Amino acid sequence: MELRVEYTGQLRWAIGRSEDRIELPEGATVSELLRHLAERCGEQVRFHLLNHSGHMQRSLLVAINGTGIGAGQAASIVLQHNDHVVLLPPIGGG
Amino acid sequence: MNEFPELNADEVDRYEWQLTVRDFGLESQRRLKRATVLISRIGGVGGTVALQLTAAGIGRLILAHAGNVRLNDLNRQTLMTTQGIDHPRIESARRQLLALNPHVEIETVNENITDGNAANLVGRCDLVVSAAPLFAERLLMNREAVRQGKPLVDCSMYELEGRLTTVLPGQTPCLECLYPEPPPHWKREFPVFSAVSSSVGSLAAMEVIKVVAALGEPLAGRLLQFDLREMSFRTLPISRRPDCGSCGGVNSSSNHEL
Repeated sequence: MELRVEYTGQLRWAIGRSEDRIELPEGATVSELLRHLAERCGEQVRFHLLNHSGHMQRSLLVAINGTGIGAGQAASIVLQHNDHVVLLPPIGGG
Repeated sequence: MNEFPELNADEVDRYEWQLTVRDFGLESQRRLKRATVLISRIGGVGGTVALQLTAAGIGRLILAHAGNVRLNDLNRQTLMTTQGIDHPRIESARRQLLALNPHVEIETVNENITDGNAANLVGRCDLVVSAAPLFAERLLMNREAVRQGKPLVDCSMYELEGRLTTVLPGQTPCLECLYPEPPPHWKREFPVFSAVSSSVGSLAAMEVIKVVAALGEPLAGRLLQFDLREMSFRTLPISRRPDCGSCGGVNSSSNHEL
């Protein structure tokens, strides 16, 4: 399946672009998407997405088709073909 | 309506152009006059919130920000002046705000939000605006606002991006629902144009006016995220976390009308 994945905040600049089309196997979860991106993009991206245990970073907010979900739901949410995923690491400038 | 302070003739003249906004009128203006708003940090974002609320005729502002004006503040901290360099930020801010509108009471606190002052400062306001660049301060402000049942407008920005949400304790997600812990490796310094920080601040001030005056639909249960690089704006519905350390188990039947 193919997903549209958008990057915001510092993640956008760590990856170097604002969005990608990502191919993943049918049935992939949000956690699996994050692990895929971490492996593909390296250490400067990984810490925005995953904690030391390889689980979704608790400070990361993910929006799927316009609705935000937190870290506790990442492992159980199965993504669908053409889902629009926005990754929102916290920003804090004032 | 006796609970709301009367406006004098000068105030009615001063606010004439906003009194014709639909669903906003003299009673709404008096609601603004009665309200006290705490602003955590008055830099690029919070300073703009203070300026806009002063122009709009808020009754009282409590401004909390430690330290002196530095030259490299001046690209964004529009309440500060070149003459104010090496003097407390809150002094420049007070001077500028009172020059704009002498009817607004300005209380200044030359401190940032800490465990030691948060409860007292939140206890003396009706609504909190959180505009600090550090997550520890924002999460502390959020916890204290939720604990005391005070609405909070949380503002943030990075580069050309801004985010905003309005927390109504017991009714909406709080900041800790979104971000249960601070992000790793966050640096206090961030890329910023004043045009971006002041955009966030202006939107936050509008949220304050809406909550205080019961006007329109605040960003309750929604996160506004925008990027001025592409001029893209969206609002994302967000949910409470039942296990949230700040608002889990907090329920409110209040409509948070001020």
